Amino acid sequence: MNTDMTRSDIRPIAPGFDTTIDGGSDQTLAFERAVDAIVDDCCLAVGQGVGLRAALDFDAVCHIRRNFRPKFLAAMRQFGNRWLEDRQTVTAVAMMLGERAVRYAGGAATISLEDIRRASADVERYCQLHAARRARGREHDTTEGATARIAGYWCTWEPKE
Amino acid sequence: MSADQIDFIVNDCLLAAGQGIGTEKAVDFAALAWWRDRYRRFFLHAITVLGNSYEADRPRVTAVGRYLGQRALFHAASSPSIDLRAAELASRDVETGCRMNAVREGLSPDMPAAIA
Repeated sequence: MNTDMTRSDIRPIAPGFDTTIDGGSDQTLAFERAVDAIVDDCCLAVGQGVGLRAALDFDAVCHIRRNFRPKFLAAMRQFGNRWLEDRQTVTAVAMMLGERAVRYAGGAATISLEDIRRASADVERYCQLHAARRARGREHDTTEGATARIAGYWCTWEPKE
Repeated sequence: MSADQIDFIVNDCLLAAGQGIGTEKAVDFAALAWWRDRYRRFFLHAITVLGNSYEADRPRVTAVGRYLGQRALFHAASSPSIDLRAAELASRDVETGCRMNAVREGLSPDMPAAIA
């Protein structure tokens, strides 16, 4: 993966994708725009995990967006938009979601909504454990360790109503 | 057609592209951003002009999405990841096929490829 990309590389390519925390309504708008690109990025990674082993029902795909978009938005409101820092970790988890969904489909030609729900629950549990483990070791965190810890919050930070 | 519905369709197609890529290579964020921006515009145009027939067209459109991923993987060749250049070349391949299909089915060749 190309990790040499800077923020200035991203901005002209993905309008509205701003990693800075400015505060106020501008920040909210920036997060709203960025979160859609992040959900797309994760959907692509889920597809990578599934590969050509099965198709997906449309409502299963819709569930990914409905389930994770509010969590991602809540995580960004808490930590700022750290997507470029956390992307490698989070997309790896998204691939794992795809892999789990294939397993739950049990050889069927199509992955159903229920399969995706079960796979999502698995990865959320994984992320909760991952985030908790990192939080326990916080005092020993290196920069890399801190990145991994916060990355765990992308799908575990429950949105406030 | 709400913005949400377009977003679901873009999610569906990018997921299909990911299926075509598999786990062999990562995708640069710049490539992902370019694809989503491009196809969101195309899909919005197609739905505005022709109405939303995604439910009927979905098997064909997602098959093209998987092919897009496979072409990107091909164009990435020995690169460690799928970069913007590989994404652009893959889109060119796919859209050429879609345009030919659109002409064959009596749609205007000037229409964006995503309509095909």
